[in-house]
Amino acid sequence: MAGAQASETSDDDAGPFTRWVQKSIRNPDRTYRAMFYVVTIFFLITTLFPFYWLLVLALTPTDLVDQAGLLPAGFNPEAFITIFEQLPFHVYLFNSFVIALGTTAVVLVLASLVGYVFGRLEFPGRGILMILVLAISYFPPAAFLLPLFRLFTGNVEILGLSSPFVFNSPIGIGLPLSALFMPLSIFILTTFYGQIPDGLEDAARVEGTTRLGALVRVIIPLSAPGVATAGVLTFINVYSEFFFSYLMTDGQAQNWGPLVWGILGYQTQYAASYNLMAAASIIGVLPVAILVVIAQERIVSGLTSGALKE
Amino acid sequence: MATERSTEAERRSGVYASAVRWLENLSETAFAYLLLAPAFLLLAVIAFWPLLSTFRMSLFADSISGAAQLGEFVGLENYVNLLTGQLDTVALPQPFFDLSAPFQSALIVTFIFTIVSVFFETIIGLGQALVLDQKFRGRRWVRVAIIIPWAVPIVIQGMMFYLLFRSGIGPGVAVVEALGGSTSPLVNSAEALPIIILADVWKTTAFMALLILAGLQSVDRSLYDVAKVAGATKWQQFKTITFPLVLPTVLVAMLFRTIAAMRIYGLIETTASCTTVPSLSCLVVTTFSTRRYGTASAVAFVTAAIIGIVVSIYIVRYWQGSQGAA
Repeated sequence: MAGAQASETSDDDAGPFTRWVQKSIRNPDRTYRAMFYVVTIFFLITTLFPFYWLLVLALTPTDLVDQAGLLPAGFNPEAFITIFEQLPFHVYLFNSFVIALGTTAVVLVLASLVGYVFGRLEFPGRGILMILVLAISYFPPAAFLLPLFRLFTGNVEILGLSSPFVFNSPIGIGLPLSALFMPLSIFILTTFYGQIPDGLEDAARVEGTTRLGALVRVIIPLSAPGVATAGVLTFINVYSEFFFSYLMTDGQAQNWGPLVWGILGYQTQYAASYNLMAAASIIGVLPVAILVVIAQERIVSGLTSGALKE
Repeated sequence: MATERSTEAERRSGVYASAVRWLENLSETAFAYLLLAPAFLLLAVIAFWPLLSTFRMSLFADSISGAAQLGEFVGLENYVNLLTGQLDTVALPQPFFDLSAPFQSALIVTFIFTIVSVFFETIIGLGQALVLDQKFRGRRWVRVAIIIPWAVPIVIQGMMFYLLFRSGIGPGVAVVEALGGSTSPLVNSAEALPIIILADVWKTTAFMALLILAGLQSVDRSLYDVAKVAGATKWQQFKTITFPLVLPTVLVAMLFRTIAAMRIYGLIETTASCTTVPSLSCLVVTTFSTRRYGTASAVAFVTAAIIGIVVSIYIVRYWQGSQGAA
C-alpha cells in the first residue's frame, strides 16, 4: 500500500519530485539529511513497536484477541487492575524493588572501597586483583548455581555449623547479584576516583582528616556523578536480571519472589489471558523506563566509561 | 545514669581514637588490602568458592538415585564423555554437539546465536551511533527511545517476543509464514532461534550503540575539516577517518557482547523454552534439575572454558591490532 501511494505521488507530482532530485544532486547534504531522517524514523519504529504491541494486547479483551491488528480490538483497560487481583503483582514489584535497592547499596559501599584502592593507591598485586575481578564475568551464572543453591539451602557445613537458610529471602537473590554486578561498579568508580587530583586529598589530610574521612568527605562527594552512575546501572541490572531471580526462590510472592515470577505467573497460570501478560509487562517496565528518561546522561556516561576503561 | 553514659562515650572514643591511630599508621599496602577485604570476602564466598566447588563436583560421577549427591570420583571422565558425545543420549536432555541435529545441540545453537546476534548488533549499533552523533532537534528523545530496550527486564523482553510470535495472536507469525515458515514458530527449533536472535538484537543493540558513540565522540573533529578541504566525500570520510578510529572501541564492545551472548538463558526460557532452543546455559540448568550434578558441573565448566577461549582470541587480535597501529 505504501509503495502504491509513493508511486502515485511521484506520478502526480513529477515536477516537484524531479526538482527535488536535481536539487539533491547539486547539494548532496540535502540527500544525507533525508537519508538521516529515514534511518532515524526506522530505528524509532523498530525499537518502539514491541512496546506498542504490548499496549494493543493489554487493551484488547481476551475473547477478541484474534482480531487485534495494528489497533486494539475493543477498549478494555480493566486488565491493568485485574493483574493486581489475580496474582499479588504489587508484592512481586515491591520484592524486586527491595532486592534491587539493597543490592545497589551493598555494591556501592563495597565498590567504593575497592574503586578507591584501585584508583588511588599503588600497591603490589594491584594488577592481578583487577584481573581476578574481571575474570568473574567470564563464567556463566550457571557455573555458580549448584554450590550457591546448596549453600543457601543450609546444606553446606562451615566449621561444624550448617550454613544459614537464605533461599526464598532477598539475601538469596541479592548476594549473588552483588557479586555478579560489582565488577562494573568497581571499574566505573575506579575511573572516577582516579581522576580526582591528589592535591585535594592531600589538603584534606593536612587539615587533619583521616584516610577514610578523606574518602567519605572529599573523594566520594567530588565523584558524585560517578557514584550516581554506578548506582543507576546496578539498580537497572538487578531489576532486569533473570537467572538468579528465577532460580534462587520458589517464586511465591510471600517468599520474596521478584518480578520475573510475577510475569511468568501470568504466562503459566493464565495462559489464555494475553491482555494480563501484556498489562503486567507494561507495569513492570515502567519503573526502568522512567529511570532511563530521568538518568539517561548518567547511563550513557557510565556504560561508556566503565566498559571501555579496562 | 549520666555518668554511665559519659564513661561509655569516653571508652568508645578511646577505642575509636586508637582504631583511627592504627589505621593512620598502616602502610599504604596494608591499608589497601584492608579496604579490599570486605569486597573480596563477598567475592570469595559468592564467586570463587562456588567456582572451585563446581569444578570439584565435575570430577565425580552422577548419583541419580540414593541419598548421596555425587557418585564415585571419576577424574576427567565427565569431560571426556561430554566432548566425545557419549553423554548425548544418556545423561543430557539435548545433545552437546551433534551435526545431524544442529538446532537441537547446545554448542551449535550457542555459536549460531552468538555470531549472528553480535554481527547484527554491531552493524545496527554503528548505524544508531552515527545517528546519535549528529546534532538535531529532539536528539534527547531519540536517544531515550534507543536506550530503553536495553533497560527492559529480560523476562519482559521475552514476554514481548512471545506475544509477537505466539501462534494465533502475534503479528510476527504472519511474517514467518510469508517467509515460508510454520504457523507456530516458537515450538520449531529452526524458526525459534532466529526469533531469539531478533529479540536479543532488539534489546542489546543500544549497548553497542552507546559504546561506539563514545568512540565516535572522541574522534578529533579537525580531521573532518581537513578531509572536507581535500574534497573527500562523506563515504570517504567514514572509510578513512571514522572507521579506523572507532575500530578498537567496536572490538571492545563486541567482546563484551560476545561474553554475554554466550551465557544466554532467561530470554530463551521465557520466549521459546529450553527444550526448543537449548543453549549451553540451558543445558546446565536442565541437567542440574535431573540431579545429574557431576555432568551439569562439567557442562558449566566447558561453557566457561569456551568463553575463555573466545575472549583470548579477541584479546590477541586486539593486541596485534594495537601493535600494528603503533
